[in-house]
Amino acid sequence: MRERLFIVTMLLPAMVLLVLFYGYPIFDNLRISFTDLSLLGMKKGGNWVGLANYRELFHRGDFGHILFNTFVWLTATSVLLRLLMGLGIAVLLNTRAMKKLRLASVARFALLIPWATPPIVAVVIWRFLLERNGVVNETLMRLNIISQPIAFLADMRAVWPSIVAIMLWNTVPLIALSLLSSLQTVPEEYYEAAELDGATNWQVFRFVTLPFLMPAILVLGLMSVFWSFNNFVYVWLATGAGPGTFTNVLATEVYLKGFVDFRLGYSSAIGMMMAIIMGAFGILYLRLVARQQLEETL
Amino acid sequence: MPASSRHWREPGAWQLVVVLVLAIVTLFVLVYPAIYVFFGSFRPAGGLLSAAETFTIRNYVRIFQAGFGRFIINSVVICVAATVVSTVLSIMAAYVFSRFTFRFKRALFMGILFGQVFPWIVLINPLFVAFATMHLINSYFGMILTYTAFTIPFSVYMLVGYLVTVPKSLDEAAIIDGASRWQVIWLIICPVMLPGFVATATYAFLLCWTEYLFALAFLTQTDLKTLPLGLYQFFGDDYVDWGAVMAASVVTTLPVFLLFLPIQGWISPGRIAGAVK
Repeated sequence: MRERLFIVTMLLPAMVLLVLFYGYPIFDNLRISFTDLSLLGMKKGGNWVGLANYRELFHRGDFGHILFNTFVWLTATSVLLRLLMGLGIAVLLNTRAMKKLRLASVARFALLIPWATPPIVAVVIWRFLLERNGVVNETLMRLNIISQPIAFLADMRAVWPSIVAIMLWNTVPLIALSLLSSLQTVPEEYYEAAELDGATNWQVFRFVTLPFLMPAILVLGLMSVFWSFNNFVYVWLATGAGPGTFTNVLATEVYLKGFVDFRLGYSSAIGMMMAIIMGAFGILYLRLVARQQLEETL
Repeated sequence: MPASSRHWREPGAWQLVVVLVLAIVTLFVLVYPAIYVFFGSFRPAGGLLSAAETFTIRNYVRIFQAGFGRFIINSVVICVAATVVSTVLSIMAAYVFSRFTFRFKRALFMGILFGQVFPWIVLINPLFVAFATMHLINSYFGMILTYTAFTIPFSVYMLVGYLVTVPKSLDEAAIIDGASRWQVIWLIICPVMLPGFVATATYAFLLCWTEYLFALAFLTQTDLKTLPLGLYQFFGDDYVDWGAVMAASVVTTLPVFLLFLPIQGWISPGRIAGAVK
């Protein structure tokens, strides 16, 4: 009995906060999404409008464009490239040549720099480098790759690759370091055996290294999906969803509709859409990752 | 043949060259941008268009004259308070998770794991409405509460990972000797786990320090804004004061580096992957 009291006392404060900040808002968000609540008229509250917000959402012309931006550019492209580059760097750092050149520890340290750079600052750095007369343009012009400076964050052809590049610079190191630590757990004997069998470098990678890394890649990939899909900072600070609304994603749309256009009800409906999509991923996460983490830690 | 020798083929010359080139390109892309901005912050106009390699701290003087110190104070107050509260509450919860079996334990822990991947942008509207009715917009208290809740899932998860490595028999022996649970935590667990607690708290602090979305929505009064918001004050509509922006970036990032570098070895990247927002 005393033990139960102890357990409850210890858990209660954290749990109360979690319920107040995660549990309650998600239900209230659902309620708000059925109203026409406005940021300006919050005192008088919103009127019940049923599914009007959702209907409006599905009938607007640019919703497909926003979904495309969110799924294809913000999430799929950035996650895939992040995993590939992270894997590439991890493998590179783990090569014998790298150790022979005594570069491995230097490179590990170098990875810490972009990793430790706050996302807000990463965007600042790249906004500066990608300026019209910034370093990137200057370098490309000197190398005769381009003849005219590119407005990286304003040109429709360049803006998405630029945003993705900023995200990658900031987040690839985390993936690379995670995969590197998994790589170092591959037993040496596996490689020796593969080599005795006369496997080529590619075969060693394909049949020894990769299977060993798969669980880590899966976890990191899934985490990356959550993290990219919901991300607000990179797009908002790099382009403000512009030029025009060209780089608008679901997360920026929630903010724009709620806090720029003051339509909290409509904005909440978009938020609900995001929650539902992420809920589906959450189930996947539960199946693949959380259960395993649970066994490991508890 | 010595027993320790491995059957490795020595890397060939061309292999070394390829790896070297790849490594240099990678290192350059990773490091150069940050270094460039760091040095740029000491040049007039951030080094843009200015060929003169003069060294100046004018950018730094200017941002502090523009009130940047206020943003630092706001960030420190909010983040330190949130970190302390969050870490204490998380240690309490994590201790229970690592030591006891009780009903709903799995479900509760699962909830905490989910907290790490929760879409925060979805919470912004309902929390704003709730905060507005409770007068928590533009308030230190509201931000501290938000950041405390924001860091708890990550901290609990990290701490449980640390705590399960401490044998339960240590607690049990102390309890047989007549110690209370609180004494066990305070006198036995805390000293042993101190590095883990410090690493967790530091990371929680860094999450708060760089948080942008909630600060943007909940802090509209200039003198209450935190560093990340202050940083973007120097972006005008059609003119950017790059010198000021760079100096402000360095001031924002430096504490992160100083805190992050010592602890990064203690926290596995895999665990953090869940916490990055």
